[in-house]
Amino acid sequence: MGHTYTVEGNQGMTRRRFVRGTLTLAASAAGARMLPGALAAAAAPPSAPAGELKVSLPARIVALDPLGPQAAEEPVRIVAAHVFDSLVVRDTKTRRYLPSVATKWESPDPTTWVFTLRSGVKFHDGTPLGARDVKASLERMLRLRGPFAPLWAAVDTVEAPNDGTVRIKTKTPLGTMLANASLLSILPADKMEQPGFFNRPVGSGPFRVVSYRPDNELALEANPGYWGMPPGVRTLRFRDIPEIAARVTALITGEIDLTFALPPDQLAALEKQKGVQIVATPSYRYYFIWMNVKRDPFTDKRVRQAMIYALDIDTMIKSLMKGIARRMTCPIPSTVFGYSPQRAYTYDPRKARELLAAGGRPNGFEVTMIWNPDSGPQDRELAQALISYWNAIGVRVKDGQAERPQWLERLLKLDWDMDLQTNGVVTGDADFVLRRLYTTSANRMGYSSARVDQLLNDAAATVDQNKRKLFYAQANEIIWDDAVGIYPFELVQGYAYRTGVQGFIPSPSFPTFTTVTVKR
Amino acid sequence: MSGYLAGRLAYSIFVLWGAITIVFVTVRVVPGDPAQLMVGAQGTRQDVEALRHRFGLDRPLPVQYGGYLAEAVRLNFGQSLRLEQPAVDAVIQRIPATALLALGAMTLAVAISLPLGIIAAMARSSILDRAVSAVSLVGQSVPNFWLGIMFILIFARTLRWLPSAGIGGAEHLILPAVSLALLVIGVLTRLVRSGLVDIIHEDYVRTAYAKGLSVRPVIVRHALPNALIPVVTVAGLQLGHLLAGAVVVETVFAWPGVGRLLVDAISNRDYPVVQVAVLFITAGFILVNLLVDLSYAYLDPRIRYR
Repeated sequence: MGHTYTVEGNQGMTRRRFVRGTLTLAASAAGARMLPGALAAAAAPPSAPAGELKVSLPARIVALDPLGPQAAEEPVRIVAAHVFDSLVVRDTKTRRYLPSVATKWESPDPTTWVFTLRSGVKFHDGTPLGARDVKASLERMLRLRGPFAPLWAAVDTVEAPNDGTVRIKTKTPLGTMLANASLLSILPADKMEQPGFFNRPVGSGPFRVVSYRPDNELALEANPGYWGMPPGVRTLRFRDIPEIAARVTALITGEIDLTFALPPDQLAALEKQKGVQIVATPSYRYYFIWMNVKRDPFTDKRVRQAMIYALDIDTMIKSLMKGIARRMTCPIPSTVFGYSPQRAYTYDPRKARELLAAGGRPNGFEVTMIWNPDSGPQDRELAQALISYWNAIGVRVKDGQAERPQWLERLLKLDWDMDLQTNGVVTGDADFVLRRLYTTSANRMGYSSARVDQLLNDAAATVDQNKRKLFYAQANEIIWDDAVGIYPFELVQGYAYRTGVQGFIPSPSFPTFTTVTVKR
Repeated sequence: MSGYLAGRLAYSIFVLWGAITIVFVTVRVVPGDPAQLMVGAQGTRQDVEALRHRFGLDRPLPVQYGGYLAEAVRLNFGQSLRLEQPAVDAVIQRIPATALLALGAMTLAVAISLPLGIIAAMARSSILDRAVSAVSLVGQSVPNFWLGIMFILIFARTLRWLPSAGIGGAEHLILPAVSLALLVIGVLTRLVRSGLVDIIHEDYVRTAYAKGLSVRPVIVRHALPNALIPVVTVAGLQLGHLLAGAVVVETVFAWPGVGRLLVDAISNRDYPVVQVAVLFITAGFILVNLLVDLSYAYLDPRIRYR
C-alpha cells in the first residue's frame, strides 16, 4: 500500500491554496460571463461575514471556561481562540509573537514586563476591555490552579496602573512570558465570577456565543464590533460527533464542513472522495517512549541506545502511520521554538545486540511498557510493532496497556519500566516539554544531569530569545545522546474539508477558522 | 392499594441508598484520581493536592460518605469536577434525550416483536417460524456498536436517506432507536411466541374456536392477554438492558444523553456525576418495575394489590 500524501509546509501551503483559489474564481467568472469588475469585487475580501461553517472537533467541548481546570484541552483552546482575545498571538509560521489586545510590550528589566493595550476593544456586551480585565483573568487562572498555572509560577505581582497598561513583575526572569500570554484568554473582570457566566460566556474575540448545548452543538456568530479582521463566516457551529465513522460520513454528506485528527485508513478513503479535500501539516504533537533511567537495565546508557537501534522507524512511518508521521530528529518536534536537529539513530539490529552485550545484557531482559488506549493515532498497532522489534534483539517487552486514569497514576509515580505516549508542546516553546519533564526536580523518568538542569533553567530565565535557542540546542544534544527516551516521530495533522471551504490555514497548533469562507 | 404503594416507596428508598453507597465506594476504590487527571501530566504534586482539597477528596472516606449522604437528603449532589456545573444539572439536561431514545426503541421493539411472535406461534415449526427465530437471535447477538456503524455507512453514507449523527427531527431518531430496539426484539419475540404456543392448546381457546370465532379475535381477545404478563415483565426488565445499550448507541450516534455523560464521567473519574447518573438510572428502573407490577392488575383482573 505505502500510501502517503504530501505534507505541505505552511508557506507552500498558502501559496498553492492561493493559486488554486484564484483559478477557481477565474473559471467560474468566465462560465457565468461576469464582467471584469465583478471578478475584482468577488476576489476582494468580503465586507461582511456571510454563510455558515460546521466543524466537528476530535473531542467534546467539556466546558467554555478558558481559564479553568479544563483550559488545556484542545476543544476548549479552539473555542477560546474564537470567543476570547489574548494579549499576543503566536505566528506559527515565523514562530514570533504578534500584537493582539496588546499593541506593544517591553521588558525594562529582566523581571518586569509592561504591556500597552489597544484602545477601543470592547467585549461582546459592549463594555470596554481594560487592564483590570487582564489582571483579573490572570489572577483567576492562578487561583483555579488550572493546567496553565504552573507556567506562571514565577509571577510576583500583576498591576493595572491605568486602563491601558498591564505591568507583570516576576520573581525570576520569565523567558516564556509571550508564549504564556498567548494562552491567557481575557475575560470581563466584573462578570466572570457570576454563576452561569460560562454557559454563555462573553469575550472580545471575533465570534460571540449564541447557544451551547453540551455534547451536541456550540453555535457562534460573527462579532460585528470586532476590532480586528472580521471573520469570513457569519455562523460557526461546532457539532459534537464522537464516533469517527459517523464523523467521516457527516463530512461526506455535508452535515459538517470540516474535521480533523482522523486515522490514516479514514484519510486514505476520504482522499478518493469527491467534494472533500485533505491537507496535512506538521503538528506540535509527537510520540515518544521513555525508559525508566532509575531501573535496571535502563541505568546503562548503552542499553537505552540499543533499544533505539532496534527500531526500523522509517518502515513504521510508511506502513503503520501511513503519512501521518514524520521522522523526529530531536527530543522536541521540528515545529517548536528551540528545535535543533541531531544525528539519527539508524536501524541496526546488530549494533543493538552489541550494545546490549556491552551493557551486560547479551541475552536480553524482560520489562513492561505502559500506555493507554487514548494516547494517539494507531497506538495499539504501534505498541505491537515496537514490542516485536525489541523481541528481535532478545528484549521481551510485555504489553502494559491500562485505562488512562490508571496509566497516569503509574506514570507519575514512576511505577514503570517503559512508557509509550504522545505529548503536545501546547505553548509551541521548548520550555513546555523540556524543563517540565527532564530536570532532576521534575523526576519524570528518573533522568538527572546537572548540566541539563542548568541549561534548561537558564533558558527559562533568559529573556533574549537568541540566547535561549543556544541553551536548548545544547540541552537537546545531551538528552538525545544520553538516549533518555526514544523519539520516533512527530505527528502530522490531517484536516479534511469540503471543497466549498476556502481560506482555511492549517496550523501545527490548534486550528482557527476566522479566515475561512464557505461557498455552497 | 395505598398500603402497597407505601411499602414499595420505603423499599425503593432502601434500594436507592444501596445503589449510591455501592457506587460511592466503587468509583473511589478503582485506581485513578480525578485531581491528577485534571491537572494532567504537567502539574506539580502541590497542584494535585490543592485540587484534591478543593474537591474534598483529601478527607477520610467515611467523612466524605457522611457528608455526601447529609447533602444528598437535601437533594444537593455536589458540583461536577469537570463540567463546571452542578452534577445534577448535567444529568437532568440529558435525561430527555435518553428518555426519548429508550421509549422510541421500546415502542419499536414491542411493535415489531408482537406481530412477529404471533406469526411464529401460529405457523409453528414452519420455515417462517424458523426465520423469525433466526432473525431475532441475530438481532440480539450482533454487537450494537458494530450494527450502529453499519447503519451509518448504509443509510447515511451510501443511501443518504437519514442523517448520520446528532439529535433533531424524527429522522435523527430512527437509526439509534432501531439499533437499540434490536437488542430486545429477539427476547420479546421469543417470549410472545412461546407464551402463545402454550396457550393456543388450552381448552378455552378451543372453546372460542368452537363457538365460531375466527382466528384474529381468538388470538387478540382470548389468547394474547394471557401470554402478555411475562412479556410485560421482561419488557420492563429489558429497559435496564436498553439503558446499558444506550451508553454505546449514544456514543455511536452522537446522541446527547445520560449514557454518554456517564461514560465520560467514569473515564475522567467525575465522581459526583457518576453518582447522580447512577441514582437517576436506578430511580428510573424502580419506577418502571412499579409500573410493570401495577399493570398486572390491568392485564389479569384476578391480581389485586393490598
